Amino acid sequence: MFCEKAVELIRELHRISDGQLPAFNEDGLRQVLQEMEALYDQNQADVNEAKSEGRAELIPSIKVRHCCLLRDQRCVTAYLYDRLLRIRALRWEYGSVLPANVRFHMCAEENFRMTIVVLSQLQWFSQYKKSLASFMRSLGGGEGLDITQDMKPPKSLYIEVRCLKDHGEFEIDDGTVILLKKNSQHFLPRWKCEQLIRQGVLEHVVS
Amino acid sequence: MFITDIRKEFYEVVANQRVALLVASDIDALCACKILQALFHCDQIQYTLVPVTGWQDLGTAFLEHKEQFRFFVLINCGANVDLLEMLQPDDDSVFFICDTHRPVDVVNVYNDTQIKLLIKQDDDLGVPSYDDIFRDEEEEEGGDSGNESDEGSEPSGKRRRFDEGAVERRIERQRARREWEARRREILFDYEQYEYHGTSAAMVFFELAWVMTKDTKDMLWWAIIGLTDQWVHDKITNMKYVTDIATMQRHVSRHNHRNEDEENSLSIDCMRISFEYDLRLTLYQHWSMYESICNSCYTSCHFKLWTLNGQKKLQEFLADMGLPLKQVRQKFNSMDMSIKENLRDVIEESSNKYGMKDIRIQTFGVHFGFKNRFLAGDMVHAATALLESTEKDESDSDNFIKALDSLSRSNLERLHSGIDLAKKKLIAIQQTVASCICTNLILSQGPFLYCYLMEGTPDVKLFSKPMTLTLLCKYLLKAFVQSTRNKRCKLLPLIMAAPKDMEKGTVIVVGIPPESETSDKKNFFGRAFEKAAESTSSRTLHDHFDTSIIELKMEDRSKFLDALITLLS
Repeated sequence: MFCEKAVELIRELHRISDGQLPAFNEDGLRQVLQEMEALYDQNQADVNEAKSEGRAELIPSIKVRHCCLLRDQRCVTAYLYDRLLRIRALRWEYGSVLPANVRFHMCAEENFRMTIVVLSQLQWFSQYKKSLASFMRSLGGGEGLDITQDMKPPKSLYIEVRCLKDHGEFEIDDGTVILLKKNSQHFLPRWKCEQLIRQGVLEHVVS
Repeated sequence: MFITDIRKEFYEVVANQRVALLVASDIDALCACKILQALFHCDQIQYTLVPVTGWQDLGTAFLEHKEQFRFFVLINCGANVDLLEMLQPDDDSVFFICDTHRPVDVVNVYNDTQIKLLIKQDDDLGVPSYDDIFRDEEEEEGGDSGNESDEGSEPSGKRRRFDEGAVERRIERQRARREWEARRREILFDYEQYEYHGTSAAMVFFELAWVMTKDTKDMLWWAIIGLTDQWVHDKITNMKYVTDIATMQRHVSRHNHRNEDEENSLSIDCMRISFEYDLRLTLYQHWSMYESICNSCYTSCHFKLWTLNGQKKLQEFLADMGLPLKQVRQKFNSMDMSIKENLRDVIEESSNKYGMKDIRIQTFGVHFGFKNRFLAGDMVHAATALLESTEKDESDSDNFIKALDSLSRSNLERLHSGIDLAKKKLIAIQQTVASCICTNLILSQGPFLYCYLMEGTPDVKLFSKPMTLTLLCKYLLKAFVQSTRNKRCKLLPLIMAAPKDMEKGTVIVVGIPPESETSDKKNFFGRAFEKAAESTSSRTLHDHFDTSIIELKMEDRSKFLDALITLLS
């Protein structure tokens, strides 16, 4: 039956609904596009025949094929658009450098002999990255602000941490160096400490 | 130099900078540190906090951090020595010193660029004036050499007379110089002879918070604890304590009238500080009345509880108040409400009969939640016990962090464990006092009394810490004064020694001034120890910020003592 392949593409994305990006179903898409090509050719032939020979009984089948074409187009665009949204979410989750296993699922190919222009997903991602970066640079009065740091507004910029073991020197953003000695307490910017807190070198002190 | 406007000259200077806080190990310093930390959190001033226990620690901490920080805040350390000479800092390092130790070293007072003292210029400082101790040397030489060059160009006829004149003038100048130096030495000796303590550091920082209207009840409570620490450890006179309590009382009433009225009463969980004219029985609300009476210095010394007679008197006292023994031995919280209601008045009446006129003392209490009531004295004892706990595997800085935590309201288990440790410490102190008096361990050496704790004494490990040993010393002296009949001995100061480190073979030696009603708490043992150590070349370590506490090698003990006796008689 027509359009079944297209619906299968949609079902595939629907199955993995937690935001992960499945592999790009190149074969499926190619089949759908081929089906669309075949339908279009048939319709073209029938329209010519209907016009030239006045065979009105072909019109319903033309209509059916046209509907199938539209449905295929809708499914393909939905598939591609949903993948783009997922890729955009990846930027916010992982940062500007994607891990290798995620990148693998994005297709790099560019040519499709079809009327739908498909930009390669990796290219799209890099362009999105660039426009996000230029937007962030324009914030904060020319200084730039990294808005991907915190999804929710933080309670405080600085937190108090206590050093649990001797860690030696530690450099923070403005170049100053802090000596992390056991049992010393420091009041530092939050994002700098998060890494060390995860490692167990520092402990957040709540008072 | 002394800072006049603490907000402009200290806080606004460090407002956009990173600061290193070097904090000494006593409760007043911990409270001051907490207040300052809270202010820094408000204004997002980045800081690093390093605990220091002595001069060596201070030096090491400074060396480690001098590359990264330009501003150092020293709390309860550093005012009584020449700091610049000791630390040798770069020219752009600035030190803000808030220290209760007096006398403030004259170099610290008169240095205009690098040392800023966060101390009020009270009347009791008595700093000698600049011209008495410092003198510009250059005009002297200039004058002399000018004269000499003149002499050479005079014709020979007059030379002899001029020579004599010049020589006379030079002799005159040298004599004046020697006189000036002698007077200078005398002034400095008088100034630096006695060591005492000034206004609590926590109160200084609370005032800073108040001036900036950023003070909160937590900060007020910490300031009160800092002041009470000075009183518990006998660092300030009674008069000064009462004056400072009055100051704090003004702040407490200001905070209390802010929120509460009939319609909007505060939730029970909010913190309430109240002025209390409460009993001088240590930790009595977290213990039983009986234990508290037995282990508080005031009552134990007045009743002389190490004697049988004393025990009988205590039973009489309790009977006189109508308190059944069963009630009195129970935990305070479980006592009958009918007894607890008028307890303070009843005790005051009875103690007047037994000669204890000052059983009640002005202090403050805090109250948050249904279960949590603490007096300022309770907090001081708990935090001190944590700070000086002698558990194995705990370094000094671990204890510092624990004690610092116990001062926050959110760490109640820490506080309760501190109270338990404090109870054990008090019991140990009382038992040691009892055994010392009964076995006559206190000997009169002429100008002072002396007591040595042998290695095998129970709980002697507790007394290797300076504050615990000082507390024991004070209690012992009070008890001795009560128990001896020798009138002269009652006026003598006391020196106590206890083993500190068995491996290194050292003892810790503490000296306290004589016990009297109107004592001004001025201690001369600092200088005396220094001189005695020098004259006998004993191996001593003057590491503690209080100069009257030193560490000494065991073998040098006897010659050190002999030197002290000769020095002080």
